[in-house]
Amino acid sequence: MNLEDELRSALRRKEPSPEFTERVLARVAGRPLRRASRPWVRWVAAMAASILLAAGAMGYRQYQGERARSQVLLALRIAGGKLNKAQKKVQMLNAAHRNNS
Amino acid sequence: MPVQAPFRAGEGEFASLVRQHQAMVFSVAWHFLRDRAVAEELAQEVFLALYQHLGTLESPEHILFWLRKVTTHRALDVARGRQRRPMVRLEDAPEPVAVTPQGDPMLGAALRKLVAALPAKARMVVVLRYQEDLDPMEIAAILGIPIGTVKSQLQRALALLRGKLSRSRGEVGL
Amino acid sequence: MKTAGFPLAFVMFAGLAAGQQVKWNYEKLAARASDSVDVDLDGSLLRLAAKFLSSDDPDQAKVKKMVEGLKGIYVKTFEFKSPGEYSPADVDAFRAQLRSPEWQRIVGVHSKEEGEDVDVYIKPEAKGIGGLAIIAAEPKELTLVNIVGPIDLDSLSELGGHFNIPELEVEKKKK
Repeated sequence: MNLEDELRSALRRKEPSPEFTERVLARVAGRPLRRASRPWVRWVAAMAASILLAAGAMGYRQYQGERARSQVLLALRIAGGKLNKAQKKVQMLNAAHRNNS
Repeated sequence: MPVQAPFRAGEGEFASLVRQHQAMVFSVAWHFLRDRAVAEELAQEVFLALYQHLGTLESPEHILFWLRKVTTHRALDVARGRQRRPMVRLEDAPEPVAVTPQGDPMLGAALRKLVAALPAKARMVVVLRYQEDLDPMEIAAILGIPIGTVKSQLQRALALLRGKLSRSRGEVGL
Repeated sequence: MKTAGFPLAFVMFAGLAAGQQVKWNYEKLAARASDSVDVDLDGSLLRLAAKFLSSDDPDQAKVKKMVEGLKGIYVKTFEFKSPGEYSPADVDAFRAQLRSPEWQRIVGVHSKEEGEDVDVYIKPEAKGIGGLAIIAAEPKELTLVNIVGPIDLDSLSELGGHFNIPELEVEKKKK
């Protein structure tokens, strides 16, 4: 058994209830809806969200920039490595050719 | 950053966004909180917030990042709030309708229960890694923690899950 | 014109169009790979990356300078579980996309013994090299590199050897 594969299988995304989208749109439109039986969920979530959202855009830019930096370094290392390999082979072949002539 | 009006897309466009991302948002909340009703409520709140803030988001990739980040943090805060209240027993949590197309369903259920028993941060790292297939850098950015912490949380969580699983199945050397 | 370490001559062309990304058709190959690395950086992401490269770190400063003026860096590496999961015809198809007057192959090294091939192509321009493409085929790994914009081959080659890059967090995508 590969635990990671089993975790991927066990934690596959699942759809919410069929009326989910309709409920969201109704709330967006301001229509009265059945309220949650756990109002504290909404209170806690709203408090966290207001703090989080203020930093949201900056956080994403930071993430994008750091990720792009990592990718540039990785890409140039790969490209440089292959180029280096080709260069060494050419030098070896040239040296062998000189020795044989 | 220039102030932008909130996104005022037609219902069709926003509805498309909801349908596109609802499984992701709901599932992060569901796999983390193991309470379907709470997960749906939380997911609704996330999309309401998205509606308000869509005008500030730059691209589809940014929307996805934003949704993951907001869902994750809200779920963590709900879990913190729940610690002061009686928790829903894992045995009582209803299983959603979708069935995993491959793998042992009994094992899947067992794994989900074990994941639910992990400490909150480690549990969220596992959910983001294996539900969303995110790498440590992405998980670190979403959770706002160092990459090294993500990696060590992941390592420890896998070791814990492996040990618990092998003991519960009577297997050795998983 | 010679670049040190690359004694094969190449012809300079004048007045070429601005570099464009090579659009390799790798979807079928990607489907067969067990792991892959995918780097897709256009001009705007490169400019963003440059802001995050440290000028105080000598290696990152070299990269920062190298990246200036580049319009894109695209790298795909596919890994396979066993040799033979991709064919010479697959590699030929990638080479075929570089058979146009604007591309010049400057290195073609083929090692039967090791089963490794490396082809290096440049896009010559009046002021130097306007683009680079590399196809590197090994028994269990195939790499496609495309760099769009002015690039110095010797500086790039140096990066592949001793470049002290901190542990990279961009992970391979497992299938």
